[in-house]
Amino acid sequence: MNTQRVWFAFFIVLALTLNFGFFIGEIDNPLHHNSYELFLTLVVSLIATVLKVGDRSHMGAVLLATSLVADLQLIMAATIWGYSSEVTGHVSPAVMASIVSLAGGAMLANLTSVVLLLSETIQLKR
Amino acid sequence: MLEGDQYWAHSKSEPIWLLLVQLRSPLIALIVTYSISILGLVLIPGETDLGSPYYLSFLDAFYAVSYTAMTVGFGEIPYPFNQSQRLWMLLVMYSTVIAWLYAIGSILSVFSDPAFHRIRSQNRSISQVRSHNEPFWILCGFDDTGFQLIRFLDQAKIRCVVVDEDPERIDCARLINLSYEPAVFLSDPSEPQILVDSGVSRPHCCGVLALTGRDQINLMIATNARVLSPRLSVYSRSNTDFSTRNLRSFGTEVVIDPNRSIVHRLVQMIRRPNTYALHNELIDPDFNQLSVHQLSDLGHWIICASGRFSELVVEAFVREGIPLCLVSREPPEDPSVCDWVEGVGTEAITLREAGILNATGVIAGTTDDGDNLSILLTALEEKPALFSVARRNRSSSELVFRHGQFNEILREDRVIAQEMFARIQTPLLNQFLGHLEAMPDSLVFDIIEKMSHRRSVEQSELDHFALVLTAAQAPGVVELLQKEATIKLGDLLIDPLREQPLLPAICLLIARLNADVIPIPGDELDLVLGDQLLLWGEAEALNRIKFFIGRPDLFEANIKESDPLL
Repeated sequence: MNTQRVWFAFFIVLALTLNFGFFIGEIDNPLHHNSYELFLTLVVSLIATVLKVGDRSHMGAVLLATSLVADLQLIMAATIWGYSSEVTGHVSPAVMASIVSLAGGAMLANLTSVVLLLSETIQLKR
Repeated sequence: MLEGDQYWAHSKSEPIWLLLVQLRSPLIALIVTYSISILGLVLIPGETDLGSPYYLSFLDAFYAVSYTAMTVGFGEIPYPFNQSQRLWMLLVMYSTVIAWLYAIGSILSVFSDPAFHRIRSQNRSISQVRSHNEPFWILCGFDDTGFQLIRFLDQAKIRCVVVDEDPERIDCARLINLSYEPAVFLSDPSEPQILVDSGVSRPHCCGVLALTGRDQINLMIATNARVLSPRLSVYSRSNTDFSTRNLRSFGTEVVIDPNRSIVHRLVQMIRRPNTYALHNELIDPDFNQLSVHQLSDLGHWIICASGRFSELVVEAFVREGIPLCLVSREPPEDPSVCDWVEGVGTEAITLREAGILNATGVIAGTTDDGDNLSILLTALEEKPALFSVARRNRSSSELVFRHGQFNEILREDRVIAQEMFARIQTPLLNQFLGHLEAMPDSLVFDIIEKMSHRRSVEQSELDHFALVLTAAQAPGVVELLQKEATIKLGDLLIDPLREQPLLPAICLLIARLNADVIPIPGDELDLVLGDQLLLWGEAEALNRIKFFIGRPDLFEANIKESDPLL
């Protein structure tokens, strides 16, 4: 068993599960979506991205790309949230809906990562 | 198959990936310290000015951590921190600043890593080669020979890509003063991948020059190039007859054996001085004078040499019937063919034993420059009227040899560069040199006499150029020919300024479209469309010819004026 592979899979799956936890709930209800969860999702997703860097295979390139997409979507969601709560003063249901839908997009990207990881694992013959 | 894929991925890796792999752990350290710091600040309750509880938002926390990590330190905002927040900030300060230093240190170490630099310059060279849109040659092995050859080629506006495995030589190639910046590759030239990187399969690549000092490497370069791109010309240097035969066996266009070339020139210099002078002028772009050595036939030659060179000299001199005395440490293979004196030749007693007082000349041909200088200085001391031939091995000794007042200097690197350059520059010159070999020396003497009659200034520079009678190169001649006028070769040489009856230039060779080749054509010969001419003469005169054949109006007027019948 390779420790590096464990951490690699751990962060990729954790990014997906945290992302799912944040995403689930009524789309425009701020009570259903925890800001700490979004923060953790973003941090884990960033770490997963760094771990994927440097793998020169074709699979590595696709994994890195999906991870970058997830980062981008999550950063956009966090920025909108921060802006609306700090600058305009309150988070309206419409803003909440767009934050959650961005996080939903990120979840799709994370899901793709996990699917790729699984398919590669299944192909490995021992 | 996987292995192959990895190899390709590796060979084309961009430096940015190398950088990012090195930065993996510092980046993770940064992300982790930042996120823990932010999370702590958000979770720890603070107080407003009025004492009511207050929690920092993510934005405030990120702001505070960022300026702390960057050591900017804007202070405690939006409200002064309480003790528990300050305790946390202490941790934040130390951990984030250390994480940043770690990251910056890693970035700097990657940038100063020689491997990173090598990959970056390699990639730059590859893209430089890809953007080449002019013909170029790949020069493998950049020692004195390569240095000389790249300069010759630059004078003829031919570009080169340089491959060598020695970093010092590659630096030298980078710094050499040329009209363009050559792409350079630091790598073993016998590796096939480096030939591909340096553009062996690019449409503008003309050929590969294998110039390394080792036969086995040259052989590998030649075979690799032959397989990877069969249309290319491959020119190689060879140090043994075995390797020469081997290289020729798979169609290497030009194989230059420097020792054989030098011996050939020595024999030519002694037996056919006029041919030697003309050959020397034509083949070297830096040497633009005719100097014919007048050698007396009376005495013998003293040759101080060793190894293969001495064998080749003895063989050639005996074949040509030139009397010689060999001075060397080992006796010649067949002691009956020539006199032999044991020694190096640096001492007067050895030279006297070799009969220096009756000798015509001395050839210092050892592989040590110090010995060669010593031999010649001793010999000239003994007999000042001696014809002295020096062999210069390393280009760093050039200065002393040039100031040594020797009659002739043989330079191995220069000989190879000359021979290759003459064949690269124009195939016509190569053809003519082949004919020159077979010409009697008296005929060459006539050519030189003819030229000196036409010349007004003895010391002006000589040059040559190849001219093809096509609409693109010589519109003046072609237009007139299409009007069904006859143009004689001599008409090209009419001086438009009427300073002299004929310009000081001679056509050495005409190659026709019907495969006729006419060496030394007479001035009465009629020109035909598509003729290839090799013109030789004063540089100034050649410029006039080049100008006039490009101007149909002037050319026609010039001919009519000089010959009213036309």
